[in-house]
Amino acid sequence: MSEIIDRPRYACALGGALFTLRALPRTAPIIHASAGCGYSLYGALSAGAGYLGGGYCGGAAWSSTNVVEREIVFGGEERLEEQIRATIELMDADLYVVVTGCMVEMIGDDAAAAAAVFRDAEAPVLAIPTPSFKGDSYAGYDMALSGLFRGFTRLGAEKRKDTVNLLGLVPGQDAFYKGNLTELKRLLEQLGLRVNTFFGEGETLDNLRNASEASLNLVLSDRYGIKAAQVFEEIHGVPYRVLPFPIGAAQTADFLRAAAEAAGVGTAAASALIYREEDRYYDYLERIADIYNDIDLQRYAIVAGDVNYAPSVSRFISDELGWIPKLTVITDQLNAEETAKVQSRFSGWESGVYPLIKFDPDTSAVQRYFPLAWPQSANERYYDSFSPAVVIGSALERDFALQYSLPLLTVSFPVTNRIVLNQSYAGYNGGLSLASDLITLLMSWR
Amino acid sequence: MNYLNEKTPPVREDRLGAGIAFGGLCRELCSVQREGCLNKASRSFSQSQGCQFTLSLAMTNSLRNAVIIMHGPIGCGASCIGSAGGSGTFKRLRDPKAEGLVWINTNLDEADVINGGENKLRESILRADREFRPEIIVVTVSCVPSLIGDDVDAVIAELQEETAASIFPVHCPGFKTKVMATAYDDVYHGILRSLVRRPVRREDSRVVHDDLYETQRRYRESRTVNVLNVGMMSRQDELELERLIEALGLKARFLPCYSDDDDFREALESSLNVSICGTHDDYFLEHLKELYNIPYIIDTMPVGRKNTGRWLTLIASRFGLEAEAKRLIDAESDMLDKALEPLRAELKGKKAFLTGGAIRVLATAEIAQDLGMEIVGLKGHHYDGFANVLFENLENVDDVVINIATQQPFEHINLAKRLKPDIFISHTGGNNLTAKLGIPILPIFSQSYNYMGYSGVYEIARRMRRLLFNSRFNLNIARHRRLPYRESWYEKDPFAYIKREG
Repeated sequence: MSEIIDRPRYACALGGALFTLRALPRTAPIIHASAGCGYSLYGALSAGAGYLGGGYCGGAAWSSTNVVEREIVFGGEERLEEQIRATIELMDADLYVVVTGCMVEMIGDDAAAAAAVFRDAEAPVLAIPTPSFKGDSYAGYDMALSGLFRGFTRLGAEKRKDTVNLLGLVPGQDAFYKGNLTELKRLLEQLGLRVNTFFGEGETLDNLRNASEASLNLVLSDRYGIKAAQVFEEIHGVPYRVLPFPIGAAQTADFLRAAAEAAGVGTAAASALIYREEDRYYDYLERIADIYNDIDLQRYAIVAGDVNYAPSVSRFISDELGWIPKLTVITDQLNAEETAKVQSRFSGWESGVYPLIKFDPDTSAVQRYFPLAWPQSANERYYDSFSPAVVIGSALERDFALQYSLPLLTVSFPVTNRIVLNQSYAGYNGGLSLASDLITLLMSWR
Repeated sequence: MNYLNEKTPPVREDRLGAGIAFGGLCRELCSVQREGCLNKASRSFSQSQGCQFTLSLAMTNSLRNAVIIMHGPIGCGASCIGSAGGSGTFKRLRDPKAEGLVWINTNLDEADVINGGENKLRESILRADREFRPEIIVVTVSCVPSLIGDDVDAVIAELQEETAASIFPVHCPGFKTKVMATAYDDVYHGILRSLVRRPVRREDSRVVHDDLYETQRRYRESRTVNVLNVGMMSRQDELELERLIEALGLKARFLPCYSDDDDFREALESSLNVSICGTHDDYFLEHLKELYNIPYIIDTMPVGRKNTGRWLTLIASRFGLEAEAKRLIDAESDMLDKALEPLRAELKGKKAFLTGGAIRVLATAEIAQDLGMEIVGLKGHHYDGFANVLFENLENVDDVVINIATQQPFEHINLAKRLKPDIFISHTGGNNLTAKLGIPILPIFSQSYNYMGYSGVYEIARRMRRLLFNSRFNLNIARHRRLPYRESWYEKDPFAYIKREG
């Protein structure tokens, strides 16, 4: 049973599915839903993803049936068939995917039947049910990917030992998904692997079509992509391995060792790569050794974000920047098993410095738990205040940050106060970006 | 008109015969509108667009000291994620202490679809009241609770006793109407039923009655004009309109956007309500006249020199200030003319294509003509009789193409390929496509720039000149990224997917 949420930082399953499809090359979604769904979700997810925009055929350009009362009463399948026919006639794409909203699911429209009418069309037409009362954007990512793995990825492909698929970074909900995938793929390729990320630089629909050649799916999330990986295993017989989303040198070293081991490429290759990359990484990071110590850039921190960012950012600032995270709020809707899994990521840190960890999807949660993480002033003569400190979260932390006059870096969805192009926070390059962005925040008065 | 005993207002396709699908010449549109058959048309291909739920939020999210409850599954109202930052910023332009946008989503899931969402709504209202202590709680009701039949009004009636805030529902399920502007009626319906009321002024018999004070109060009321703003107006627009109204010796008060609870109570202490957009306010103003006998003006939009003059003259004539208005308009017009001279020289002959709300588009077209530009294409979200008057200040547009479409960028992309405009004056939504024509784009509205009144004409002119001065960005995008349509689309009739009936 879901709970009411104060300012949720995700949209619905349809939204997650749309942005997953938005990130696929030459793919045209066909929305079978009420008029406002597509455009409203675009408004949410584009801005939240650092102004990702409509791209090739998204936003106001998305094909959408815009069903009204008449279809709700009499059924919308005929309207959907008409819309699919026109979309194929008008829009140039290599894959058409019907995704559905609440209304048409409630009245029981059979989108798959409407899509099946076009089975002989030049490009494939799939239907994936994505009703929003069945989950949030992250769930929508899993629904979309599962549908694609079932209906689009080639069956019976011969396995290649050197090929892996990378799952768990949700386009849009992770504003930096493309930069992150690029960096992670770069590293895995240096282990001698072929990598499909589906949404990464230079990839085409063939990466998705031939994903069944892989011998392993790596899921870089304790929640996102796991269901899709299970579907993949069921349909294509490829096992999966869940690893945490890595930010910075320490976490990326763990990631590369675990990935090398799981992919069977030997740890020697991983060790050599880690050695090379760490040298390069610290060559850059060393630059701030002066200023960090000249003016004392250690900070307390509050972190709020999703299951990928919140634990990894917290560990990064604790283990690598030597900061002191005091409160981390994880804002997903999680079940008990997922909660335990995420909780377990807060252990084994070299610094031994851990924050208070709270699981709460409300935006007011940060305010609610802050007094538990730090004693509030009782008007003492001497008060050990929460200062100097920063907030690392989303744009929804702005009111809190303003109230306490704390600088805010937005990394987790929504990132409405930044433009995101090819930046990343994953891997070694991502760690350097995060260090640079955090310190820049403290230096911007100069 | 009095629909206040109904749960919801009628949809605009019924109430106003509004239509969302038309392509043809301006004179054809006007005659089809008069025949009353615009509202029957639809499309066999359509693209994503706004709905009355999303558009309702444009108004409700601007209310100060309010919490908005999105009664629906988790995605309904998610557009707030995109607008939350700006909402706080623009509220603080009216009240520096204003809070940012707060909304609660009832997060209806599969179990609620079967069992109903009333309990979650109850929990949300109580939480909004206790945690945030707002003056206003708005319950926006999306498709799912409407279809499963949640009795939202009953829940609100029950909880109104227990809460400090005034609560009102906005029944705005997206599937109910093709005309998203029905949203304005939905929100006004709630405001009329819950927020507009005579202020209670305590009579105190120990205080000596002060005739002078009473006279001053009545004088002030007799000179106060409510200007009905829209969410997408800038603060600069309000300041310009306020300047002009005050120049007539009147006082302007802006409603309903960015208002708080008190503003609606004071709203009745005025002697005239003035709309700036016929798409926006008729439902509200007609009810205020019916219930409180406050006269109103709905005519043109004060965008453009002639339109602004006409708007001011109509206001002035209600107060016997025609001569003062004429002097003001002449003086403003002269000053503007001089300022525009160098801009006209550069903009003359440039071809403009305008898209947005029909009223705004036709009003802004007057500016383009004033600058000597040629109007090659027009596109409005929907059309009803309120826009007809805007044609009076346009010259020779009978044979200009007009497209009625709520967004649907595929139609204007096709049109633009034929009409080859030099500049787009364009609504948000679909500019990722429009940019790929390689043409500069002036946003037709913005909360950060001035468009209205005389200063607005100058601002629009100088911004267009700047945009035309270097269009490299869109040209580069056009060179490197292609549009998603097949080449065959550009050979077809741009209105090929419009169905006349049903």
